[in-house]
Amino acid sequence: MPFPLKTSAIIAALALTLSAQTPLFRDPGSPSPKTQQVQYLYPEQVTLAAGKPQSVTLHFRIAPGLHINSHTPSDKFLIPTVFSVPQGSGVSLADTRYPLGVEYILPADPSTKLNVYTGDFAIETRLVATPGDHLVQARLRFQACDENACMPPRTIAAPIDVIAN
Amino acid sequence: MKRNTIVLGVTLLILAIFAWAGWANWEYRKQAAQKRADAAKLNAALATAANPEAMYTQSPLLGKQAPAFTLEDLGGKKISPADYKGKALLINFWATWCGPCKLETPWLVELEKEYGPKGFEILGVDAENDEVTPADKPAWAKDKAAVAQFVQQEHMPYPVLLYGDSISHQYGDFDAMPTSFFVDRTGKVVAMQMGITSKDDMALKIRQALGQ
Repeated sequence: MPFPLKTSAIIAALALTLSAQTPLFRDPGSPSPKTQQVQYLYPEQVTLAAGKPQSVTLHFRIAPGLHINSHTPSDKFLIPTVFSVPQGSGVSLADTRYPLGVEYILPADPSTKLNVYTGDFAIETRLVATPGDHLVQARLRFQACDENACMPPRTIAAPIDVIAN
Repeated sequence: MKRNTIVLGVTLLILAIFAWAGWANWEYRKQAAQKRADAAKLNAALATAANPEAMYTQSPLLGKQAPAFTLEDLGGKKISPADYKGKALLINFWATWCGPCKLETPWLVELEKEYGPKGFEILGVDAENDEVTPADKPAWAKDKAAVAQFVQQEHMPYPVLLYGDSISHQYGDFDAMPTSFFVDRTGKVVAMQMGITSKDDMALKIRQALGQ
């Protein structure tokens, strides 16, 4: 007996309806600030001329209530914020310019002045890419504290899709 | 007939795709829900109106025996809490990169001087959290040198033990420093704190550990 076309269409429609939930891979919500100390914001994708250093500014956000040491912290024992690009990714860092930190005084010790980043900050880089499409897992290493305690040093990924023509 | 076979095939393919999509979506949602639950638990601890400091003073170890361990000091001597049986102890986890730890150190030095004669001791446990182990000799030597320099700079008179990362799991995998466990004369954890408070607050917890 021939399989009715109408029945097939009904089955397909039902399947569509039943599977029409939250779309796949939609972010269910941003994580708690205490569990994500620093976030990479943007850019997600850049287009460069291959072989030539070009400016790319990378934007990050520090969770409220936290600060991270700047690239030039005030004490030799403190861990600086450092941005890097992995070797062999097809993209290299020609130059990196970190923002100036701000002075931060620990409430418990007004005599101690730290040089830190808070809130949103941006790192200016000059990237050089070989021709092609490179998904680069750049990295930001930092060490965060709040007013009373410090969290261990951490490295987060800053994924950038670099298209070099 | 041929057309109906094609239609049947396409319909079954569509059904299979949507079944896979439904399963994959369910798996992802399950993992996302678990992450949200973990984050919510942490946020609940932070937002507790009755005790906003709860996150910083609560530990599953409270009321229990402090986990045993043996670590080496800067001179290579093996040290354990059991060596201080009958004494109240402050097991203080710190790191050279921790600013509040540096701030707290002079308080600890003074507290040890004041309460030491009453049967109190401090064990400073360095936990650099840098994944360096004694097996990595050059990196380990560098870490050890940094700790030694810090100890000398801060005039820490109490034992400073290395490789605290190896015991952090037993002590609750705390994710901030300084973290202190106050242990009474029977070896029971009577108080803890994550982060700095004040010298007076630490003195209170020391007296609690001494049974005063």
